[in-house]
Amino acid sequence: MIAQAILSLLLCCVLIYSWAEYRRSPAVALLSFIAGLAGLYFIWMPSHSTQVAEFIGIGRGADLIMYLWVCISLIVLLNLHLKLRSQHEVITALARAIALANAYSATEGARLRSNEHATAKRTPADKALPLSRDASTVDSTLV
Amino acid sequence: MYLEALYMQKPPVWVICPAFNEAATIASVVADLRRCRYNVVVVDDGSTDATRHVAASVATALVAHPVNLGQGAALKTGIDYALSQGAEILVTFDADGQHRAEDIARLVRALRQEQADFALGSRRLGQSRNMPFARRVFLFAATLFTVATTGLCLTDTHNGLRAFTRRGASVLSFRQNRMAHASEILTDIAHSGLRYTEVPVTVDYTSYSLAKGQGTADLVMILLDLFARKLHR
Repeated sequence: MIAQAILSLLLCCVLIYSWAEYRRSPAVALLSFIAGLAGLYFIWMPSHSTQVAEFIGIGRGADLIMYLWVCISLIVLLNLHLKLRSQHEVITALARAIALANAYSATEGARLRSNEHATAKRTPADKALPLSRDASTVDSTLV
Repeated sequence: MYLEALYMQKPPVWVICPAFNEAATIASVVADLRRCRYNVVVVDDGSTDATRHVAASVATALVAHPVNLGQGAALKTGIDYALSQGAEILVTFDADGQHRAEDIARLVRALRQEQADFALGSRRLGQSRNMPFARRVFLFAATLFTVATTGLCLTDTHNGLRAFTRRGASVLSFRQNRMAHASEILTDIAHSGLRYTEVPVTVDYTSYSLAKGQGTADLVMILLDLFARKLHR
């Protein structure tokens, strides 16, 4: 009875999550909603999971739940992987933009260096630039 | 008038040199390229050593990633920069000293003579010195795999020395940040239908370049990257 109460509470959280997620990605929301509902149903009607398992040719209800769980986690993993990838693409674009904005060219170099000496006071934003001609500031930003 | 003729004869060539912790070799590599009168942009891929300071004193231009992103990403950044500087012919060149600056002239000539958009260096047509056996097997497997998946007729698919035109650069997507970009470039060439050619080049294997280069274990990572790309599409 205690286990059933705790699991129900957790699954209710899943249902709330699916409701909140609906606007961002309806497919994920729908899947987690179905999974949550099915979980709730089987928690309170354990015998039914055994019947379903026997119907599709799996021995016990617990096995059925476990197989489903493995499938769901794999889908979640794949989804996370794709999300990470797209996030990494964003980081790449960002880093590239920073790199190109701070490109140093030899012809402009002399001019830039003289400017650097002319402006004695440097703002913190200048120090944060990844491409600094001053070894000490590079080390401090990298470490 | 004279300048125009000169320009017609010699289109602006930019050599893109991606470097990650290559402080030991970058100066001599870039100096060789500068001696051959090429514009050189070094892309410092978030090195933690003195690479960017050494490179800044010898290269035509230096672009630095604030964090390490991988060789594919570095090449793309360098290409974007070179295009913004009016490059007509772009050359990719490894910073570890395994390529020879003299070979670039042959690649550029091949582009012009064969009206091609890509000239790819091949160490099988050319020479490779001190290549270990394991590396030979690895490259053979990688070449087989790439030829099978892209349908291109090539003898060396993982050579860092290539030249391409501005139009060629526009079809390269560089979505693979890490080492799988070598296969990705070939996939893009195959999709574009642009003309390509192979040129014999010399690759010198030194203990330094071998230590920096990809081990055979990296093949697994390359395959995983490519597989993920197929899923992603």
